[in-house]
Amino acid sequence: MIFNNKRYLHFVIKRTLPILLFLSLSLPMFAHGDLTIRIAEKTIEISEDPNNFELYYQRGMLYQQHMEYDYALEDYLKSLSLGNTTKALHYQLAEVHYLMEEYKEALKSIYSYLELDSMDLSAKKLQAQILFNLKSYKKSLEGYHYVIHNMKDIRPEDILEYCNIILAENNENYNGALKAIQYGLDQLGPHTISLQLRKLDILKDSGQTEKALEQYNYFIQEYNRNEFWYYKKAKYLAKIKRPHEAFISLKLASVAIEQLNAKFKKMIPVIELKEQIKSLESSINNQKS
Amino acid sequence: MIKKSTFLLAALCSVVSIAQTAQVDLPNVSAVAVTNPVGLPQNSASVSVVRGPYLQSGTPTSVVVKWRTDIATQSVVNYGKTLNSLSKKASNSALTTEHEVSLSGLRPNTKYYFNIGNKSGVLSESASGEMYIITAPKAGTKQFVRAWILGDAGTANNNQRNVRDAYYDYVDAAPKNSGKTDMMLFLGDNAYGSGTDEEYQNALFDIYDDMLKKSVAWSCLGNHDGKSADSATQSGPYYDIFTFPTAAQAGGTASGTEAYYSFDYANIHFIILDSHHTSREVGGAMYNWTQADIQNTKQDWIVTLFHHPIYTKGSHDSDTEDRLIEMRLNFMPMMEANGVDLILNGHSHSYERSYFLNGHYGFANTFNPDEISKGGNTVGSNGYGDGKVDSNGAYKKASTSAEGAVYITTGSAGKISGGDLNHQAMSVSLNQLGSCVMEVEDDGRGGQNLTVKFIRENDDIEDYFTINKSGIALQADGTASGLISGRLFYDAAKDEVKLKLDDNERLKKVKFYNSIGKLVKKSRKKTINVGKLSKGLYVIEVITSKKAYTESITIE
Repeated sequence: MIFNNKRYLHFVIKRTLPILLFLSLSLPMFAHGDLTIRIAEKTIEISEDPNNFELYYQRGMLYQQHMEYDYALEDYLKSLSLGNTTKALHYQLAEVHYLMEEYKEALKSIYSYLELDSMDLSAKKLQAQILFNLKSYKKSLEGYHYVIHNMKDIRPEDILEYCNIILAENNENYNGALKAIQYGLDQLGPHTISLQLRKLDILKDSGQTEKALEQYNYFIQEYNRNEFWYYKKAKYLAKIKRPHEAFISLKLASVAIEQLNAKFKKMIPVIELKEQIKSLESSINNQKS
Repeated sequence: MIKKSTFLLAALCSVVSIAQTAQVDLPNVSAVAVTNPVGLPQNSASVSVVRGPYLQSGTPTSVVVKWRTDIATQSVVNYGKTLNSLSKKASNSALTTEHEVSLSGLRPNTKYYFNIGNKSGVLSESASGEMYIITAPKAGTKQFVRAWILGDAGTANNNQRNVRDAYYDYVDAAPKNSGKTDMMLFLGDNAYGSGTDEEYQNALFDIYDDMLKKSVAWSCLGNHDGKSADSATQSGPYYDIFTFPTAAQAGGTASGTEAYYSFDYANIHFIILDSHHTSREVGGAMYNWTQADIQNTKQDWIVTLFHHPIYTKGSHDSDTEDRLIEMRLNFMPMMEANGVDLILNGHSHSYERSYFLNGHYGFANTFNPDEISKGGNTVGSNGYGDGKVDSNGAYKKASTSAEGAVYITTGSAGKISGGDLNHQAMSVSLNQLGSCVMEVEDDGRGGQNLTVKFIRENDDIEDYFTINKSGIALQADGTASGLISGRLFYDAAKDEVKLKLDDNERLKKVKFYNSIGKLVKKSRKKTINVGKLSKGLYVIEVITSKKAYTESITIE
């Protein structure tokens, strides 16, 4: 027993003192008690209880927060090998594999998780994201559809991701993508800008020119400042060979700029916009002639 | 013996953070307002308010009042312009412990006293009138504005209380607008260590209870808040506690999320970003929203806040940490180009304040103190000065100029954590506890001053600077009525547009296009009645025997 205690103390000295000395010397750097010091503290705990799978799991979480995914994965796998069978570990394994772009391994882990909790929306979302990256678009879409329609508080980012999956599964399913956008607008508010912008892109990509022009008009009417929208609309009109309408839209852009307060006229984006207007006007004139 | 040495070393390592994060729940001796549940009917006595009330999402005509009770009950807010006559009522009959009542139809810039309760009676009120809402002024209003800025405050210890009390002392003794705080701006990490509900109770509600009852609180997400909050699902304590505008209810552009949002207050536009959870990519949803939002505002001042600092050499390093670098490289070129004036960050537990900058996106050692006209990163002849009116002079930003912004990392409202504090772009770097106050007021010459002061926990004002903006809200040339150009006259009184042609020039066609470019009127006459055209901007295309040209009018 005494021998064992001595060995233990020797082990503690060998493993922990260098860490502690390092910490004490680097206090000014890590004094805010942030992740680095917490990882070091967890390392000390592990050195004192090296077979505790919970500690490896906890340190893995810290490494993951610190974006050190290799170390996080190493700790999660160690935790697993020591007998950790919790669903939380499977989720973290899936997430860190996903972040490391190891999608096949990520999929295995998320399946393990979902076997224990098949209704968890975060896990189903991660599963759909993994499947998307494995180009298993149909399955990804099914999963994401379930998530979107069951999640309480969706974000614009979720709808945008959902749209991407819809179009990856079928690159002509513009109606499906537009329906998804509309669902997002219904849930998040009709003026959610990132969704309205995506709607415009889909309308343009699908060749729905009149609806795309209506969408430009929506931006023009909805926003306080519309010089950028007039220009973007003109650019689109020129692209679809409607030079006169493009010309009128450019005129409106120029007038909108003239009506701005002096401060805005001097801003780089507005100065650049004036140049772009000139250039497009000249190109339209060439188109006309 | 060895165990003892190990213990001592461990204790040495931890002493700083423990000292600064330990909760010492001493009584709040400096409360400026005392709320007493008075006049409670017998049957409501068993219900107690355990959190709040606190104010959220203030607009010129509305505000959200939130509070928590220990037992589920109805939600009632009684309010009115006179303390003794709270004649208006907003209520919700659903039984809940998490109360959220929206007051709408309010008048801008108006003080309303209120109390909260249930159907049986009042549960919390302030007999001395320290529970009130002052609605926001209409967007564009030029008036005095004071915002209290708190970064990384949430230690729930005496450091935080001392910083708070120093601000209370400041605002009570302020020579102008004494006692007035229009808003609280939290820069994240509002409750250590993980932003749990209990930690929020200790570090936010118990500490700032008095101010939260009379000043609207806004916040961005910090990394510690983000440990318990999930921005992907907008759940967790941070998102439950705060109610932010997602649909541009308080001005700005609809983001569709509480993770990032904007609002107007007087002539200031505030943009709140999530630098922690949300993608910081150019072209991502938050970036696109920010660009649309900043290019849509006509406000005189633009202030942005997010947790991770653009420039710091405190307890974090803006040269090495991903989020900080990404915000600087991705967001700041666009925001500076569109006229941002003030950037407020936390994360490093120090106070670091920049010179008057533009276009510095590299590492600290690439900072060039020369003026931008000479290839440097400062703006104006005194942009490399201290910005103090009584020293190097206020930083100058003409109303016609977009360049020039001050960056502040102020994350020491709860603890300090040292660091090298030697970022070259910083005019001042301090390892001191404190919070900031931003005050915007007229300069007496048709412009405004935006002054920020760093108030230490011992009441000292350790740093201050001013940005002076001249000719605030200079209007663009009016074109409503009169001679629009040498060839067109708009008589608004007669609803007539008159075209002037050369003697030998014959008018062939006149076309009116409305604000979305739709052809709405044609004519062949030189004098055209526009009485039936709706208000708005029109482009007029004139085709004569000699040329084609365009004019524009705005019908008001």
